[in-house]
Amino acid sequence: MIRRRFDFWSGVLAVAFVVVAVLMVWPLYSIFAASVIDNRSGALTFGNFAQILGHPAYRGALINSLIVGTGGMIGAMLLGIPLAVLTTRFVIAGRDTIATLAVLALVSPPFIGAYAWIMMLGSNGWMRALLADIGIELPSIYGMFGILLVFSLKFYPFVFLLTASGLGAISPSVEEAAESLGAGPWRRFFKVTLPLVFPAVSSGALLAFVLSIADFGTPSIVGGKVRLLATTAFDLFTAEMGGNPGLASATSVVLIAVCMAVVVAQRWAVRRRDIAGSLLRRPSPKRLRPLASAAAHFVCYAIVLAGSLSSLVVIYTSFRKTSGPVFHPGLSLDSYTRILGEVPHVIANSFTYATAAVVLIVILGTLIGYILARRETLASGALDSMLLVPYIVPGVVMGLAFVVTFNVPPLQITGTAMIIVLMLFIRRLPYAVRSSTSILKQIKCGIEEAAISLGASPARAFLKVTLPLMLPGIIAGALMSFITAINELSSSLILYVGRTMTMPVRIYLSVLDGQFGTASALSTILLAATGLAVFVVFRFSDRKESAFV
Amino acid sequence: MARVELRHISKSYPGVQALDDVDLAIESGEFFTLLGPSGCGKTTLLRTVAGFIQQDSGEVRVGDRRIDDMPAYRRNIGLVFQDYAIFPHMTVGDNVAFGLKNRRRPRDEIAARVTRALELVRLGGHAERLPHQLSGGQQQRVGLARAVVIEPQILLMDEPLSNLDAKLRIELRDDIRDLQHSLGITTIYVTHDQEEALVISDRICVMQGGRVHQVGTPWEVYAQPATLFVAAFVGAMNVVADVAVGAGGVLSFGASPRAVPALAGRDRVTLAIRLEDMTLAAPSDAVPSDALALDGAVDKISFAGREAFYRVRLDAGPQIQAHVHRPERQLLEQAGARLRLILPLARLHMFDPTTGRRIEAEAATAASVGAYQ
Repeated sequence: MIRRRFDFWSGVLAVAFVVVAVLMVWPLYSIFAASVIDNRSGALTFGNFAQILGHPAYRGALINSLIVGTGGMIGAMLLGIPLAVLTTRFVIAGRDTIATLAVLALVSPPFIGAYAWIMMLGSNGWMRALLADIGIELPSIYGMFGILLVFSLKFYPFVFLLTASGLGAISPSVEEAAESLGAGPWRRFFKVTLPLVFPAVSSGALLAFVLSIADFGTPSIVGGKVRLLATTAFDLFTAEMGGNPGLASATSVVLIAVCMAVVVAQRWAVRRRDIAGSLLRRPSPKRLRPLASAAAHFVCYAIVLAGSLSSLVVIYTSFRKTSGPVFHPGLSLDSYTRILGEVPHVIANSFTYATAAVVLIVILGTLIGYILARRETLASGALDSMLLVPYIVPGVVMGLAFVVTFNVPPLQITGTAMIIVLMLFIRRLPYAVRSSTSILKQIKCGIEEAAISLGASPARAFLKVTLPLMLPGIIAGALMSFITAINELSSSLILYVGRTMTMPVRIYLSVLDGQFGTASALSTILLAATGLAVFVVFRFSDRKESAFV
Repeated sequence: MARVELRHISKSYPGVQALDDVDLAIESGEFFTLLGPSGCGKTTLLRTVAGFIQQDSGEVRVGDRRIDDMPAYRRNIGLVFQDYAIFPHMTVGDNVAFGLKNRRRPRDEIAARVTRALELVRLGGHAERLPHQLSGGQQQRVGLARAVVIEPQILLMDEPLSNLDAKLRIELRDDIRDLQHSLGITTIYVTHDQEEALVISDRICVMQGGRVHQVGTPWEVYAQPATLFVAAFVGAMNVVADVAVGAGGVLSFGASPRAVPALAGRDRVTLAIRLEDMTLAAPSDAVPSDALALDGAVDKISFAGREAFYRVRLDAGPQIQAHVHRPERQLLEQAGARLRLILPLARLHMFDPTTGRRIEAEAATAASVGAYQ
């Protein structure tokens, strides 16, 4: 801590900088460079950006992305805030079940919702038929309606979990003070409670917005003719006729710019709002009158069940009798036999890549986290801010950046398994670093110093005292990384070749082929792996649902 | 057991001079306290001795050896923390054994020494407990046992009592003092609580803004504060800033002007008066020739059981507090009444208004020593 000479931790810092430079700065620089270079002449040009703003199709994609981001965010808030308020302020039976269902909705593979809702609300969907029978005609699932429906149900848990933990951190004395000063329930909520919880709500809303416009699977499955920035960039890049890397890169840059603008706006909105009150009393939920209580229960369970419905439908579908794309009455393991016969390597790939990425993430993430938490220097500060970048770069963009950078020497690794693992690694590294930092912040510095003052060398103090205390957090963080790694679609879809196909990619392709049976069977395997990981995380983190955000 | 020398230690952080040429010698077996408000540099100094902060200049010597070029884990210094810093994943016994294991002592010896150390802090039989099963006071006893079991050359304590409630604090304070006495271990103790410092220490070093204001026995620090800061920080004190001094050092503060030889040649002085040094008298009572008479009206009386505090608005302007031991009932019914406070010159503390340094009243000092003893 005190000596400035080159030690183990300086070595870690150096490695971290190399990793970030090669896997993040360089690819993103390539994308930026490609966006301002003319495809044919190689001259510097802003023509690509002019085209995005000028051409109706591309401008439409930008506008649609903004609509989808805003709509997804509003939808997530409409579901998430009431759920958070009801479950934290009132006695709701099965609060843990509600939180678990929300977490499961949060971690389930993102594109599952899209095709599950097609099965329910597509032109032949059973739910559409059911609703039509009682006289409700819904707009077509393909298009904006479908996208927003899926995103709202997919991203509400972010708003819910963050708002709930924010509400849990408001001292009841503050609300009682407002009440004693003559504020009625509504006024109290809008004038005191809501402003206090605003930072938490807006963080959740921000996540919903960024994830909505970054998501690739959902709009390409359920979007119909609605084009978004993410899908446009992908199509431009992979188009049959050689594609248009310049325009694809410019689209990616616009996507990054939008995400960044939203992040900055949120930071600005919550400036000087970091309310860290000392909490002497925990809020205790109130009991509602029977009728109100029934209504509250109905709302809560309706929201979480709607969020989980897609997963249930997928699991059910995976067990239906099927021959090819056609379903027959009755249950069977047809779909599972098929995938095990046809694509066993896809399942193996998914687990191998995710595991490999998680090992790298845990090792480097823990060490970097330690540096950021315990050794504040100029260099570690710089690393800290650089690690914010992956949060705002969508998977599609990162995938494109990797292809642009790594399909030519000196580091020609496209088509290998390594490029997929490295992609998963760099995208999730910041999350592991952040969780490691936050664990360390809960472990008092004094504990390590106590060990050192008792004669343990810094390395021994870390191994004997700090690491054992960090371990539960590290394991939880590793499983979180595993969940996101194994469910990653957008970047893998750009980087895969036949040999290195993963489950999400296979599911995506199956859905496009109308092979819902195999898609569902693979999705169910993903869900099972994810559910198991969530269960273990709960064991290691004392049921902290907020650990998932 | 070793003598500790801190030679001209300075440490600065961007924009802050945390330690400014601190030069101290702590005798072998002494209980030495660093006292000051938060941010005064006392913890920085302690952590410099422990090895967690590297000074910019100066030396730390323990015994005959310079230790500041040694890493913290080789210094053999026992450290007790404000937040206990007990390893939460180890039993009480393993916590205490940790330092001995680092020193690769034989297992039998470790077991015997751990048992003895736990008995020393009255936690015999708790070795198998986990820290979270213990109260705060018990956890700090574990911290104490863990620090002394390695038989360190010196023991450092960083506000070890400040996280405990009042009753426990007094109990553990006495235990720490007894333990230090019986082991005879050189101890540096950091606190911001002046009463704690007075009770527990052999000597006290009062610090502010990274500088040493005074080093002395508790009696010296209390009765002969070297600076206005020490006077105001240690114990309750009325400070009357910037009082005019007449020709020949005549102090006309109050109803009876008195010549103070030490003030000759000055035109201003800052006075400090202990609450308990004034006696209450009737407005017309005679004033001894070696005392000041401060006349005023009782503004407010605060009764606190065995004592009471009078807030008096002096005719001379300032408002001061006076202390009454075991107040009688009728004394409590005097709000608004006029009274005279008699203050022996020997008990008047005088400071230079610009430097804040004590002005020694030579003749008066001898008298005041006599008065206190």
